[in-house]
Amino acid sequence: MVDSPIVTKKFQKELNAGIASLVLLSVLEKSTEPMYGYQIAKLLEDYSGDASFMKQGALYPVLHSLENGGLLESKVEPSVSGPPRRYYEITAEGKETLGVWQGVWKQMKSFVDKAIKGV
Amino acid sequence: MIKSIEEYLDQLKAELKDSDAATAQDALADAEEHLRAALVNLREKQPELSQEAALNSVIDQYGSPAETASAYAEVERRTVPQLARESQKTESAVARFFGVYTDTRAWGALLYMLIAFVTGVFYFSWAVTGLATSISFSLFIFGLPFALLFFLSVRGLALLEGRLVEGLLGVRMPRRPLFTQPNLKWLDRLKELAMDRHTWFSILYMFIQFVLGTFYFVSFVTVLSFSLSFIAIPIMQEGLGIGAIYNNGIRYSFPNWSYPLLVLGGFLLWTTFMNLARGVGQLHGRMAKALLVTD
Repeated sequence: MVDSPIVTKKFQKELNAGIASLVLLSVLEKSTEPMYGYQIAKLLEDYSGDASFMKQGALYPVLHSLENGGLLESKVEPSVSGPPRRYYEITAEGKETLGVWQGVWKQMKSFVDKAIKGV
Repeated sequence: MIKSIEEYLDQLKAELKDSDAATAQDALADAEEHLRAALVNLREKQPELSQEAALNSVIDQYGSPAETASAYAEVERRTVPQLARESQKTESAVARFFGVYTDTRAWGALLYMLIAFVTGVFYFSWAVTGLATSISFSLFIFGLPFALLFFLSVRGLALLEGRLVEGLLGVRMPRRPLFTQPNLKWLDRLKELAMDRHTWFSILYMFIQFVLGTFYFVSFVTVLSFSLSFIAIPIMQEGLGIGAIYNNGIRYSFPNWSYPLLVLGGFLLWTTFMNLARGVGQLHGRMAKALLVTD
């Protein structure tokens, strides 16, 4: 029961819900130029190594919702091969929000670590 | 086993059939963009992989159609329904009637009514000119490329109108253009566009917008002038000493006791109009969605 894949999958999904926004904003803040979805997914693949935390397809709706919230902006540009690509870029509001979120994450992380270790 | 990107997109479309049409269109465009890029990349890196094996490895990382559809549904459920939630509030009819002044959708609808006049005239001229020249040029060889350009411009305008409708009327519309097969010959692309109901519906919308836009604009200006006139009568008569109505040099004035009624009447007229505008805006949004978004 403890290592039931369904329970773990659900736990992972719930964790991802908030973290995906933080990760995407961070990646786009670090990037010097606008990035498109596949580029971002590739970069995250490098970060996560063999472990896969979320399906790449799940990144896109998060990108849309961040854009809707004014934290990202995007433009569509034609590509040499295939359909046009949507390039995402962080906004000033996004940078500000990211700063706050990083603070929240830091506190959260130390809180969870303490709870796990039981110090 | 999914054999082609088209098959994946078909399955994704089927999974998304219960979700919002605009979300579905975005999801399909995202998947198409990602899968094509990932497939090209993987085949360059591992040319020994068969097309099908490469595709399945790419899909494995991207997520199955069911997983992808649920990811969109999940985010949409968490973020979009702000407007929907607002309208769920249970308020008395009176509070709802006067609450229209704080409703962004009502102000958005008013602005849309003004803009619709300009866009309506433009769409109409564009559609008439485009259709007429495409048909008459079809006598010559350059008629067909011209028709292709016209159809493509209609697609672009439909997307722009969608952004306007979503921004001002709060009805969810596609944020991305429809995908088309890459490497399609222009003649095939023209055929594809001409066979697509969506293209003709968009042109129909451009015609309808002309009539509606004019109607919206005229109602807006008329009701606004009447409301303001009623409210201004006391100021005109008492403050400036001008009668409300002049006829053959005779000044007719409203009696003093009617001032509060006139001001109240003007205010109520405008409030009613704003409520109507909000409703009409929602109806217009639904029509735009039916005509401009492919299902």
